[in-house]
Amino acid sequence: VFNMFRGLVGSKSLTKEDMAPAMNKMQDHLIAKNVARDIAEKLCDSVSTKLEGKVMGTLSRVTSVIREGIEESLVQILSPRRRIDILRDAMEARSRGKPYSMVFCGVNGVGKSTNLAKICFWLVENGFSVLIAACDTFRAGAVEQLRTHTSHLNALHPAEKHDGRSPVQLYEKGYGKDAAGIAMEAIKYARDCHFDVVLIDTAGRMQDNEPLMRALSKLIKINQPELVLFVGEALVGNEAVDQLTKFNRALADHSDMDQPRLIDGIVLTKFDTIDDKVGAAISMTYTTGQPIVFVGTGQTYRDLRKLNVKAVVKALLKA
Amino acid sequence: MVLADLGRKITSALKSLSNATIIDEDVLNSMLSEVCRALLEADVNIRLVKQLRENVKSVIDFEEMAGGLNKRKMIQTAVFKELVKLIDPGVKAWTPLKGKPNIIMFVGLQGSGKTTTCTKLAYHFQKKGWKSCLICADTFRAGAFDQLKQNATKARIPFYGSYTEVDPVLLAADGVEKFKNEGFEIIIVDTSGRHKQEDSLFEEMLQVSNAVNPDNVVFVMDASIGQACEAQSRAFKEKVDVASVIITKLDGHAKGGGALSAVAATKSPVIFIGTGEHIDDFEQFKTKPFVSKLLGMGDIEGLIDK
Ligand SMILES: Nc1nc2c(ncn2[C@@H]2O[C@H](COP(=O)(O)OP(=O)(O)OP(=O)(O)O)[C@@H](O)[C@H]2O)c(=O)[nH]1
Ligand SMILES: Nc1nc2c(ncn2[C@@H]2O[C@H](COP(=O)(O)OP(=O)(O)OP(=O)(O)O)[C@@H](O)[C@H]2O)c(=O)[nH]1
Ligand SMILES: [Mg+2]
Ligand SMILES: [Mg+2]
Repeated sequence: VFNMFRGLVGSKSLTKEDMAPAMNKMQDHLIAKNVARDIAEKLCDSVSTKLEGKVMGTLSRVTSVIREGIEESLVQILSPRRRIDILRDAMEARSRGKPYSMVFCGVNGVGKSTNLAKICFWLVENGFSVLIAACDTFRAGAVEQLRTHTSHLNALHPAEKHDGRSPVQLYEKGYGKDAAGIAMEAIKYARDCHFDVVLIDTAGRMQDNEPLMRALSKLIKINQPELVLFVGEALVGNEAVDQLTKFNRALADHSDMDQPRLIDGIVLTKFDTIDDKVGAAISMTYTTGQPIVFVGTGQTYRDLRKLNVKAVVKALLKA
Repeated sequence: MVLADLGRKITSALKSLSNATIIDEDVLNSMLSEVCRALLEADVNIRLVKQLRENVKSVIDFEEMAGGLNKRKMIQTAVFKELVKLIDPGVKAWTPLKGKPNIIMFVGLQGSGKTTTCTKLAYHFQKKGWKSCLICADTFRAGAFDQLKQNATKARIPFYGSYTEVDPVLLAADGVEKFKNEGFEIIIVDTSGRHKQEDSLFEEMLQVSNAVNPDNVVFVMDASIGQACEAQSRAFKEKVDVASVIITKLDGHAKGGGALSAVAATKSPVIFIGTGEHIDDFEQFKTKPFVSKLLGMGDIEGLIDK
């Protein structure tokens, strides 16, 4: 009989103690959804603090008040404070006769090259010509991978439909060369040959690998691309936080500039492989405050989406 | 070392037992919270972590037990046992037979490190005098054959694959047939990355497996994976006969706890770990020594047999 009244709070103000049991459950729930442990804890703490002292109606349940509080926070974390409008910016660059360049970076195997190819497809569909710069000069097959994508993309968009010129071209100098230098040549080549956009693929690297992180900073510093995209996979657990923090820190530390270029946005890949364990989206945006610009949802060119904040929050809260 | 951070945290949590004058439920709970926190930060599956907590608690009955030393010992042993359970599936690792074709098929999620690790494994055996070779049965990923070819060429390992054939089942079968006839001992088949949500990819994996009849199916897992690992690993195991796990990318910061969930889900031991992109960034993995090294407490291992 008394069970019926569990979780009911009379008309009194809410204390952290009232919330603790349900909040702990919420924290475990978020961790199970693959939110990084540390971030799940911070998130629950901040919602606790916000709700503390709130006067509750006789019939409201602590659990639902908490749920609403968490939901609101999740929406806020995922909602971009800054819009990135690539099509508009690329159009603007075109009108100034300057190619719009984007760098793709991230740890090994997360989907940089594949999602670069998907974004290339999307740009071509929107009427842009694209130069792909093969700046992963390390991993076996990296250049051939991009060459294959280039020819597939051109087959989908034959030259006849694009003023007699193939809309996609690959700029490559084989293996072993300095990536920053190739990127620079590619941007110059794009300007000379009137390509609208340059997509710069880079080698995967671990965030703790000093020499490789230094090399990436150099590439970004000397080329000043319009957009630096961090590619991270939705499969990643607690590492998401460390990856983003350290990529940003490396870009800041090695740049010797007052206002270094940091990560501008995130590409969240392999979203089709995680069911409702969508927590990496929270870990990544919470850590950087930067928006998720694209979501990769499969291995074909059309598997690219914008983040659906509502759907992600719903999946996170689903029992 | 891999998971070293986790080891340190658990060791320090267990030390809190020795420091406490009386061991009551509060001491146990706070120690367990610390252990679980460390495990969750290392991405160990949350269900396994909760289970660990329950299992340890169920061993200890504060009402009935007297004597601090006994309690301490029992708690430490229980925690240790549970940790071993996470890493040790209790089956012996597969070993190849000399003078026979040993067919090893690699499977795993997209980008986990299969192609890179295939070459590492072939090279490992080749260095030890086994006749090793590689087969590329990934006809999907752009540049997959070039990748394997470049890796194999650099390591002087014979390989088989095609730029034109689109059927991975056929390729795998032809390659195995060819290398068997040529007397190869370690025949490694690389396959495309796949995930449980796409049935056709899983069906393809089964067909490749049926065609080559592997002696060992190796599941390759990225050390940075989080809570999605368990469901994926289980699905792979349900489709093909996974018998070994390799955890890659342990040269990074990741502690690999998520990937360890693959051990429980596939009931297969970790046989090697990958620690870099180069061909010899590869270490054999032995479960038992690892666990005692990890916890830096060989003395506790002794307790288990009592
Ligand atoms: N299911 C799924 N697979 C993806 C997605 N994006 C990429 N992949 C796959 O992930 C694997 C790795 O992709 P790549 O693009 O080569 O990754 P990368 O980051 O460039 O890898 P490195 O250059 O080696 O560091 C490939 O098999 C891709 O097909 C996605 O959104 N969903
Ligand atoms: N740092 C590091 N990188 C690794 C390790 N193992 C593999 N990689 C890198 O991870 C990326 C993906 O490796 P692949 O071997 O292409 O992965 P895969 O599983 O064959 O990928 P798909 O065939 O697309 O599913 C590459 O950049 C590899 O160099 C490792 O142990 N450490
Ligand atoms: Mg790549
Ligand atoms: Mg591969």
